[in-house]
Amino acid sequence: MFDALKNQDRKKLVAAWANDAHTIGAVSEAIDKGIVDGILVGDQQVIKQTCESEGIDISKFTIVHVDTDVEAANKSVEMVANGDGDVLMKGLLSTDKYMRGILNKEYGLLPPKGILSHVTVIQNPKYHKLLIVGDVAVIPQPDLKQKIAITNYLIHAAKSLGVEKPKVAAISASEQVIADLPSSSEATILAKMSERGQIKGGIVEGPLALDLAVDKASAQVKKIDSEVAGDADCLLFPNIESGNVFYKTSTKLSDTELGAVVAGAKVPAVLSSRGDSTQTKLYSIALAALMSK
Amino acid sequence: MLLKVQLMKPIRKLDQMVEYLKSKGEKKRIAVANAQDTNTIGALAEAVKNGFAEALMVGPKSEIESAARQQNIDPGIFQIIDIKDETEATFHARKLVKNDEADVLMKGLVGTDKFLKAVLDKKDGLLPPKAVMSYVCAIELPKYHKLLFVTDTAVLPFPDLKQKVAMLNYSVEMANKFGVEKPKVALIGASEKVSEGFPNSIDYAMISKMAERGQTKPCIADGPLDVFLACDPESVKIKGVNTPVGGDADVLLFPTLEACNSFYKGLMLFGGGELAGLIQGTEKPVVVMSRSESAKSKFYCVALSCLMSENN
Repeated sequence: MFDALKNQDRKKLVAAWANDAHTIGAVSEAIDKGIVDGILVGDQQVIKQTCESEGIDISKFTIVHVDTDVEAANKSVEMVANGDGDVLMKGLLSTDKYMRGILNKEYGLLPPKGILSHVTVIQNPKYHKLLIVGDVAVIPQPDLKQKIAITNYLIHAAKSLGVEKPKVAAISASEQVIADLPSSSEATILAKMSERGQIKGGIVEGPLALDLAVDKASAQVKKIDSEVAGDADCLLFPNIESGNVFYKTSTKLSDTELGAVVAGAKVPAVLSSRGDSTQTKLYSIALAALMSK
Repeated sequence: MLLKVQLMKPIRKLDQMVEYLKSKGEKKRIAVANAQDTNTIGALAEAVKNGFAEALMVGPKSEIESAARQQNIDPGIFQIIDIKDETEATFHARKLVKNDEADVLMKGLVGTDKFLKAVLDKKDGLLPPKAVMSYVCAIELPKYHKLLFVTDTAVLPFPDLKQKVAMLNYSVEMANKFGVEKPKVALIGASEKVSEGFPNSIDYAMISKMAERGQTKPCIADGPLDVFLACDPESVKIKGVNTPVGGDADVLLFPTLEACNSFYKGLMLFGGGELAGLIQGTEKPVVVMSRSESAKSKFYCVALSCLMSENN
């Protein structure tokens, strides 16, 4: 990702309630790597203290002072809406306050009827390339329309990462079409829409069980004749539970690195957990910078 | 003999079906319920004369004989089972089929409702439990290079997904009998696009994937496709649609009975078509013909029932 970003202009990053060491550290590293210019919206005093204790040169940031986290969210969103930011980032405030800022109709960061969804990029040593997965955090039970939007975000993210024609596996429990199982039927519909050119830019195959999506040998055993099988770039999960369990299993039970953004707003929004490492936050900034137009 | 038979398939014209049956020389036993029917007796006589059928005419003997003579047919070519009562005759014809004393059941001069009720009877009928009954027609058209199997022209008004899958399987079975090994099935809509606003297009997305995954009888199924994309390679090229059917469909599966019925009747009336049609889903072939079919099509329907009762 950092290599890809070398050929790209620096993006303006606006971090909301950027008072904590992880957020400031990640933004600082991103600035040092030449990916972004950093605007920290937060409590000036606390930011100053954090920079001092972390040994970070405060002069590399532009600082916008606000008194509360809600104000920080609103101010950051307003700046992005006004074109003063290319990427939005969540600092030390709760997700709902952050999302409420993005969803605030006054600033129009979310287009009418727009769909916000979470895109995660996972690097797992056991897979031969990056995996872009969704939605593990925002839409609990996506309907078909939302799944189409999620699929488009996954394809966009994969293309931003340099995949020419991303292969999307629509995940269910089996490769068989089970009409009564929404994950299965909707995966089938998405695959057909892709075949008909109604979903552009990538190839969608489904339903596929996870093993068939990421393991060539399994796909061969089941005789799945598809270029997506065993070589997926993107995994579309049928609901938040399955996606969330997958991503948390990947991070906690194997040696995985990840980055994540929320897509669907005017600009990509970094939404890492407050507990995420500086490294994860840095990857997320990089992903957002890549996805930003 | 076997070699000759193999050489004659795939059957691409309805006349070839007749030639094939003649060359095979097997006589299928057709039990006709209330056979005193001037509407169908000619088609039966022709099947008997062509040597691929025996007709077991159940009904009032004198009326059967007079119906035959009216059409200049010698009643002596038929085996007549004299039963005067309409219901009893229907049940008896059904029993012959049920007991393997006949291979095909055919409706004569009895109301379709009454006849089908006998076919569908849970205890003595010919439809296995939970089976879907449907109707498939093989249509011959001067403007198409092979037979076109279409479904459902007559039985299921608004088939659901499960019924559509049954319709697909029946059509594939019929195409197989004509020697088309892996038929191309076009699932017909008004456009090739998938949309939630068109529930049939959603069913079609499922069915084509089910076929791909081996969840149906072996075939190449794709849909939604409009009739142009199904049967005209030029349209496929112009529209740039990526479809394995490629404008060379063997089977057209329609979303509703009205659509399919209008399609086939339009072709009969304006397209110079002939057809052979049969009820599907029953243990053995069941022939129900419309009065308005041409004499030729009626004969083809009888021939089709004999072809479908082949064991291979």
